[in-house]
Amino acid sequence: MKFYNKILMFFVAVLGLSFLNACDDRLEVDPLYTIDGDSFFNTPSDYDRALTGAYDLLQTSYLNMWIGEIASDNAIAGGESVTDTPGLHEIEAMTHNGVNNELRSVFSFNYAGVVRTNYLFSNKDKLDFEGKDEIYAQAHFLRAYYYFQLVKYFGDVPLILDRLISEEESTSLERTPASQVYEQIEIDLKAASAGLDWTNSVKGRVTKGAALGLLGRVYLYQDKFDDAAIVLDSVIDMGPYSLINSTTSEEYADLFSVNQEGNSESVFEIQYSGQEGGSYGCLVCLEGFAAVGFQGIRQYTGPEYGDGNSYNLPTQDLYDAFDPSDIRRDGTVLDIDAFIAEQDNPGDISYAIGGGGHTGFYNNKYIKRLDELGLPDNDLTSPVNYRLLRLPDIYLMAAEAHNRKSAPNDVKALEYLNDVRARVSMLDLSLSGQALTEAIWQERRYEMSGEGFRFWDLVRTGRAASEIEGFVEGKNELFPIPQIEIDLAGGNWSQNPNYN
Amino acid sequence: MKHKLLLMMLALVVSSSFAQAQSVSGTVKDAETSEPLPGASIQIKGTSRGATADLNGEFKLSANSGDVLVFSFIGYADKEISYNGQTNITVSLDLDISQLSEVVVVGYGTSTKKELTGATAKVNAQEIEERNVPRVDQALQGAVAGVNISTNSGAPGGSANINIRGISTNGDSGPLVIVDGIIYDSEGLNALNPADIESVNVLKDGTAGIYGVRAANGVIIIETKKGKKNTKPRLSLSGYYGVQRTAKTLDLLNATEYAVLKNEAFAANNQTVPFNNTNLGEGTDWQDKVFNDAPIQNYNISVSGGTEKTTYNIGGSYFGQEGIVGGDKALFERYNARVNFVTEILPKLKLTNVLLYTNEYSKSLPQGSIGSVLYNAANAYPTEPIKTDGRFSYLLNVSDVINPFAQIENTYNDSYVNKLVGKQELEYEISDHFTANARVGYNYAVVDYKEFGPLAWYGAGKAQNTAANADLDPTTVQIGDEVGGVTLERGARVTESKSSYLDYLVEGFLNYKKTFGSNHTVKSTAGFSFNEVSGSQVSGTGYGVPNNDVAFADLSLVTGIGNGYLNNTNSFQYLDRLNSIFLRGEYDYEKKYLFSGLIRRDGSTKFGSNNRFGYFGSLSAAWVISDEDFFDIEAIDFAKLRVSQGWTGNDQIQPYAYRASLNGEGQYVFDDVIVSGVALGRVPNPNLAWESTLQTNIGLDLTLFKNFDLATNYFIKTTTGLLFAPPQSATVGTGGAGTEPSFKNAGEVVNKGFELDLDYAFKPSKDFSFSVNYNFTYLQNEVTKVPGGVDFVPGTGFSVGGNVVTRLEQGFPIGYFIGYETDGIWQTAEEIASSPISQPGAQPGDFKYVDQNGDNEISFGDNSDRTMIGSPIPDFTMGLNVNANYKGIDLTANVTAVVGNEIIRNYERQQPYANQLAYNLNRWTGPGSTNEYPRLTTGLTTNTNFSDFYVEDGSYVRVRNIQIGYNFPQSIAEKMGMTKFRVYIGSVNPFTFTRYMGYDPDVGSSDPLSNGVDLGRYPQAKSLMGGFNIQF
Repeated sequence: MKFYNKILMFFVAVLGLSFLNACDDRLEVDPLYTIDGDSFFNTPSDYDRALTGAYDLLQTSYLNMWIGEIASDNAIAGGESVTDTPGLHEIEAMTHNGVNNELRSVFSFNYAGVVRTNYLFSNKDKLDFEGKDEIYAQAHFLRAYYYFQLVKYFGDVPLILDRLISEEESTSLERTPASQVYEQIEIDLKAASAGLDWTNSVKGRVTKGAALGLLGRVYLYQDKFDDAAIVLDSVIDMGPYSLINSTTSEEYADLFSVNQEGNSESVFEIQYSGQEGGSYGCLVCLEGFAAVGFQGIRQYTGPEYGDGNSYNLPTQDLYDAFDPSDIRRDGTVLDIDAFIAEQDNPGDISYAIGGGGHTGFYNNKYIKRLDELGLPDNDLTSPVNYRLLRLPDIYLMAAEAHNRKSAPNDVKALEYLNDVRARVSMLDLSLSGQALTEAIWQERRYEMSGEGFRFWDLVRTGRAASEIEGFVEGKNELFPIPQIEIDLAGGNWSQNPNYN
Repeated sequence: MKHKLLLMMLALVVSSSFAQAQSVSGTVKDAETSEPLPGASIQIKGTSRGATADLNGEFKLSANSGDVLVFSFIGYADKEISYNGQTNITVSLDLDISQLSEVVVVGYGTSTKKELTGATAKVNAQEIEERNVPRVDQALQGAVAGVNISTNSGAPGGSANINIRGISTNGDSGPLVIVDGIIYDSEGLNALNPADIESVNVLKDGTAGIYGVRAANGVIIIETKKGKKNTKPRLSLSGYYGVQRTAKTLDLLNATEYAVLKNEAFAANNQTVPFNNTNLGEGTDWQDKVFNDAPIQNYNISVSGGTEKTTYNIGGSYFGQEGIVGGDKALFERYNARVNFVTEILPKLKLTNVLLYTNEYSKSLPQGSIGSVLYNAANAYPTEPIKTDGRFSYLLNVSDVINPFAQIENTYNDSYVNKLVGKQELEYEISDHFTANARVGYNYAVVDYKEFGPLAWYGAGKAQNTAANADLDPTTVQIGDEVGGVTLERGARVTESKSSYLDYLVEGFLNYKKTFGSNHTVKSTAGFSFNEVSGSQVSGTGYGVPNNDVAFADLSLVTGIGNGYLNNTNSFQYLDRLNSIFLRGEYDYEKKYLFSGLIRRDGSTKFGSNNRFGYFGSLSAAWVISDEDFFDIEAIDFAKLRVSQGWTGNDQIQPYAYRASLNGEGQYVFDDVIVSGVALGRVPNPNLAWESTLQTNIGLDLTLFKNFDLATNYFIKTTTGLLFAPPQSATVGTGGAGTEPSFKNAGEVVNKGFELDLDYAFKPSKDFSFSVNYNFTYLQNEVTKVPGGVDFVPGTGFSVGGNVVTRLEQGFPIGYFIGYETDGIWQTAEEIASSPISQPGAQPGDFKYVDQNGDNEISFGDNSDRTMIGSPIPDFTMGLNVNANYKGIDLTANVTAVVGNEIIRNYERQQPYANQLAYNLNRWTGPGSTNEYPRLTTGLTTNTNFSDFYVEDGSYVRVRNIQIGYNFPQSIAEKMGMTKFRVYIGSVNPFTFTRYMGYDPDVGSSDPLSNGVDLGRYPQAKSLMGGFNIQF
């Protein structure tokens, strides 16, 4: 081999190696014209947009509405047939187990909410800007809300904070004891209330009242009545809210209309719009409130209401529970046959009975009304907001807290109770002790039915077994963890007690 | 040892420097015809010195006494002659029948069949050209063992799936295709004219690992035709013209049969019978009218030749094919221009130029799915004429099924592809032992697509309507709310897109070859490769095409009704890079013991930094037993045992899948307005890596009785870390809108198989020759692992909105069919009542299903009584290729057979008025009438559940090609100024033998979970053609 060839080869080798080195650098390719999760959070508006993404999952509250009512003595599942959303029929019959699509949705939607808030928290230190605290205060509220849903339904759930976990890690997560999850919820809500004002110029944003109101509810669900009383008092005393009097059932039902969104009783509403259509295949994608159309009257043609899918039908038991003079009975429960009979032309009005069950009653608080139709698609996308926290609820929670706290203040409790009753022209009560407790619980049913809270109220007050047919004590207080989620998480979690 | 080597090297240097060289000249001839062999090479053994024979087969070189001259020429056996001072040597070379010296292209180098240690296969130009198929992959059907070609569509421009040694992933299972060193994707094969191909080499086993992360599904290396040194310019013309026709039509009910059966079905459901008079004759044969005869044609021209320093092959071609459905509404045309040019620009420096320009034009009709033209034709009922009142009939009794002729008329689309593929390669002979190559390959394509969607009315209630009524008034759309919004008319639509794709490849490698002593040969290859693949598209859709006329269908003309509110635009772009280095070392002792080892390192942008770089490689060895002294079996001329094992990878997934994208849906309502935020899209997986395949191959090559070649292989191929996105724990956030599970490496598929290639060539006289190739592949496919927490991965659904019936599941072949097993028909109510097994809803005439779980109840709500009832993967495939010549007459035939696979008959629409296949004439009509076909009813039955009734044996034998040619005698050809003049007639797909009822049993799919699911497949045509080959 000749000398110059050796030199040539040497150069070829050197060139080749340096080319190679340069080429390895060329493997750092960022996607073109793509908003990428790894390169986000560069401007304040990035933070705001991520926060909007975290709010999104609030809109899955149609499930709160259904499960909270159908699991209780307030409602049956309804629908076209018993195989129409079978998960709800199983919950109605208290035969639900680890395979249940609706419960899986609750689990996955709320974790999606948690992950979207954690996405914000994991990038907290990337940028400093004015208004950042307010954004994070809202994120604290949202995370607390999602975890509260999870702990309420499923008990011990993995607590993941301030970071995103990999798929790999998800298969070895442990369930965190419910008490620790609650602890974190309280921390988050306190952080939220500290960073927020009582009002926000933008309709739909979380406020201090929302954070404190939810904190009060969280305390109540843990029987922490002393803490609850303090927090709820502060909402009532310092918040910019006032009770609204109603004199007729129509007026009362109107409190849940689009017109009354953000009224003086409104502490926090989950916002919906009827501007965008949707599909049955992706309820999580909706911007409208799905519960409203689903709860509409089956194949109804007539005045006032629109036609719907006859879901979540109130029971006779609920109807009969009311004092007939209470305007809230007809405000809350629509007796469809009575309503039709009252109209000028009852013969022209018709509706159908679904194979999934019929009680003769419809949920009159959240029901498709002709003047509140979603525009592109009125079955799935109602513009009606879901009232997550209303002032009468705060009053009744405060009443219960004062009545049941370590040093009961029944005077204050009774005052709150009677304030709620007076606004719907019900006579004042005069009770104390256990009798007052019972009265407050009853009042909760009158005031809060049809809104998705009944089941949880029965469970947390220990009355579920006596009020709900088929409810098994020591089992049905919690819902089962979806079996597929147990499997996907590595199969190491034990199912909730007494679910097989 | 070391000293000895040094000494030998020294001796070589000395001898080449100081020995007295003498001039030798001579001629190289064909031993049989005594014709000169221009381009034959003469080399002095052990050196790179040599010469090439000129046009007259003559050569001249200088040699020393004692040198060994090696004469070689492609297709002929090498001959060695010792030089003892002769001044003139005439050498006659024999045709090499055993093919042992045949050059085989392997990655970054060549080898000979004798020296190979891996499992490869080769198809030559003639075998490809004689098939007369539009695409080269179709020419591989049945050509070599281990390569299975299944067809996606028989439509013009339709593609095929190439699977080398089974389907090993639910993702992209196609091989890496390399043409003249340039990477092609399988779609790009449309651009290649099969007549331009010199050879196709298939790397099947782990030795494909020289291509690393792209090689897991095997590698196909295609070389195009080059010129030969020292040959006169040779002008070749060839062409054929043929007529295509459908090979089969479905056996459907005629009008009378239809009326009788429908009356029966309606009556069974207590409905009024639709036909008072069932004597309706034949009625309309929709299929017969939908199919037409269509032309197919191909013309090639090329000039090739070479001088001492330069070779060239320049050509052009035209290919045109119309569809057997829809005529010129479904066509494919291709113009090709090609230059292959190799020249020595400096001594020892060779420049290779390959340039290929292709222009493709195609139109297509909806095919291969629910709503395709053939699907509509099969379900349209015979009692309605094609036209009524001067317009296409509406077929109002069937929803979703529209008049196929109206559909053809309203389909307008044009796709133009302009493509330039090229390579420039420099090869420098550094020394006798070192060669360096540097090359740049590129592939640039621009695709223009336009589709016109006219306002069309197919009849009231048809989902396909784009107009509001028969007068073709536009439909209206409401945008925004009633107060602030507008109502717009949606006029005729035009969609245009322009896409461009650029791939390029920069490679450099160094080859080393040296023989130490006379026994030890060392070869080595080291190099790098850099590949970038990029693409982008801009597209737009506009509504309001003037006059509802295709002549005005252009985005520049749309009226943009309502300020263009309805119009939209879109774009995408992507970029991938692959950076690689590789090293291969080979050693053989006396060409008797051969060893090869290789390693490749790949860096791919498809993966994150945790797993960006991968190492692949293989080890292989071969032992030529027949060269051993103890080997004395006379019948066996050659015997070689091969063993190889190698790791390869597959990185064919969408770009950036490992990253966190922000394309989730994150919308909320603030101030009563929908506000778009951002949300995580696909969950990131920084640990995402390539699929890896470990393959072990054991092979035996034998040559018996001089002309009988046999190659066998047994392989086990295990693919792990399958790339897919199975459901994942909610705790990673997949419950949010638009948030998808991450891609991950999970699952495992094992393919095991046995391959046999038999070649027999026989030439008893100058006038007669005969050769036959038979190949056989046995394959067993099994999914051995699925992702944790997932029982199976669901595939395709049966019928409209039906159950998912194909799966990827542990313990079963990939894409197997799951459903109910039938056990005859319930004959009487008593039989149902007395059966220990209760079957809900069963009535006499219904299928009796098998109780798989033994609970004495057939459950239709869950999977407990469903079982495996078929697999789309054949047990074995075979090919038989025969070639015979007698005097001027030649005969070629290619036959393929596919055995042991099943097909789902999924083109029958379960609607009361849809037409049905004629097997329904055998329906159950009362006790004892049949135990095979169920009763007919329009009411609810469990018979429409997916069962083995809808699964058919997909085995077939198909004569792919027959060709009979005649070569005019040399004397006549020469009078016309030609050196060769051949004419032939041929037929492609003339015969298919199968029990399958559908159009075509060749039902492939690029999606392994849709494989074998027939939705009314556009069948491959059979054709009759005549053609010619002329050389001047």
